[in-house]
Amino acid sequence: MNRCILTVDDSSTMRQMITFTLKGGDFDVLEAGDGVEALEVAQGKKLALIITDVNMPRMDGITLVHRLRALPEFKFTPILVLTTESDASMKQKGKEAGATGWIVKPFSPEKLMDTVNKVI
Amino acid sequence: MCTVSLWPRKPQASGPVAVLDPAPQSGASRQLLLRLAAREAAMLEGQVAFLQPELNQADSLVGEASRTLGESLNTLDRSVQHQHRLAAEVQVAMAITLEGDAATGEGFDAVSNSIMGTLDGFVTNMLEISQSSMQLVSEVEDIRTRATTMEEMLGELSEIAGRTHLLSLNANIEAAHARRFGAGFAVVAGEVSKLADRSSALSATIQEQVNGTRLALERTDAHAQTIASKDMSVAMASKAESQKLVQALEDSNLRVKGLVEQLEGNARIIREQVGHVVRCLQFEDLVHQTLQACLQELGNLQSQARAWRDFESLLGAEAEEAEALEALHDSLGAIEASRVQFRAVKSASLEAGDVDLF
Repeated sequence: MNRCILTVDDSSTMRQMITFTLKGGDFDVLEAGDGVEALEVAQGKKLALIITDVNMPRMDGITLVHRLRALPEFKFTPILVLTTESDASMKQKGKEAGATGWIVKPFSPEKLMDTVNKVI
Repeated sequence: MCTVSLWPRKPQASGPVAVLDPAPQSGASRQLLLRLAAREAAMLEGQVAFLQPELNQADSLVGEASRTLGESLNTLDRSVQHQHRLAAEVQVAMAITLEGDAATGEGFDAVSNSIMGTLDGFVTNMLEISQSSMQLVSEVEDIRTRATTMEEMLGELSEIAGRTHLLSLNANIEAAHARRFGAGFAVVAGEVSKLADRSSALSATIQEQVNGTRLALERTDAHAQTIASKDMSVAMASKAESQKLVQALEDSNLRVKGLVEQLEGNARIIREQVGHVVRCLQFEDLVHQTLQACLQELGNLQSQARAWRDFESLLGAEAEEAEALEALHDSLGAIEASRVQFRAVKSASLEAGDVDLF
C-alpha cells in the first residue's frame, strides 16, 4: 500500500507538525512550501494523499487543487485542505476545485489521523 | 492611531475625522494645510516605522520559538517512543516469564511449581530414607539382642564342652581301672574328648564371629542413627530456603510487572500531552497570519503617509490648493479602493478546528 503523503504549507512549523503526526502513523511525508513547489515535488511521484494550506505565496491552495486535478495522475488522489479559513464560501471554492475534505486549523493529531485513514 | 480622511469613512470605521474646507482662500490656510499634511504624514510614518519592526520581530520570535519547540518535541517523541518500545519488550518478556512461552509452555509459575514439586519429592524420599534408617536401627537392635542370646548359648555350649571333656577324662580313668574290659570304653571316652575339644574350638570361632558381627552392627547402628537424625532437618531447611527464594522471585516479578504497567500508563499520558502540544504549536501559523494581516494594514497606512507627503510637496511647489486637495483625495481614494482587509484567522482559541469531508 502506498503510504507517501505530500504536505503543502508556507509555515515550516505547520509542515513540521503535520510530518510529525503522519510519521507517527508510519507514513512517508514529502514537504512543499507553496503551490508551485508542490507541483514540482509531486511530479512523477505516486502519492496516497495531498494535504494543502490555502493562503500561500506564489500559488494558493485552491489553485493548486485545480492544477492537480487537471493532471491525470492526481485526478483521483485524495486532497485535504488544511487552513485557518472557515468561511462557507471558501469551503465551497475548495469543493468546486476538487478537494476531498476541509480541515480548519489548528488540527488535533488524532482527528487528522482519523481523517487521513478515512480518505486514503 | 490618528488619521485624517477627506471622504466619509465606511460605516464600520471609527476614529477621528477632520473635514477640511475644500477651498481655502488665504495664504494662512495654505500654511495650515502644509503643517497639517506634514504632521499627518509624520504621524503615519512614525506609527508605521514603530509598528512594522515590532510586528516583524514578534513574527520572527514566534517562528523561532515554535521551530525550537517543534524540534524539542521531535526529540522528546523519539525518546518516548524508545521508552515505550523498551517497556513493551519488558512486558513481553514478563508475560513469557510469568505466563509461559507459547512455544515451550514454560512460565515462571510452571518453573516454580516444578522446583517445588522436585523439592517435595526430594523431601519425601529423604523422609522415607529416614524412616527406613529408624527401622534399620530397630532391626540392628534386634540382631544385637539375638547376638547376646547367641553368646549366652555359646557360653553354655562351652561349659557343656568343658564338662564333656571332664567326663571323658573320668571315663578314661575308669576305663584304665577296668584294664582289659575298659579298652573299648576308653576309645569312646577318647572320641568324646575329641568331640568336646572340637565343640570348644567351634564355640570359640562362633564367639569371634559373633563379636565381629556385634562390632559391625554397632557401626551400622551409628550410621543409621546419623542418617535418621540429620538428613531430614537439612532437607526441610533446604525446602524452606527454596520456598523463600521462589516467593522472592514471584514478588520481584509482580513488582516489575506493576512498574511496567505504570510505565505504560505514563506513556499514554505523554502521548495525549504530545497531541495537545502538536495542536498548540500551530499557534505560530495562526499568529504569523494575524501579524501578516497587521503588516498589510500597515502598508495601507504607509501609502496614506506617501499621499500626504505628495500633497505636501504639491503645496510646497506652489500648486493650486484645490488641485493638490483633489490629488490627495484621489490618492486616498485609490488606497481605500485597493485596501484589502484580509483576516484569515477567525478562531480566537486553539481548540481543534472542524473537519468536513465532501
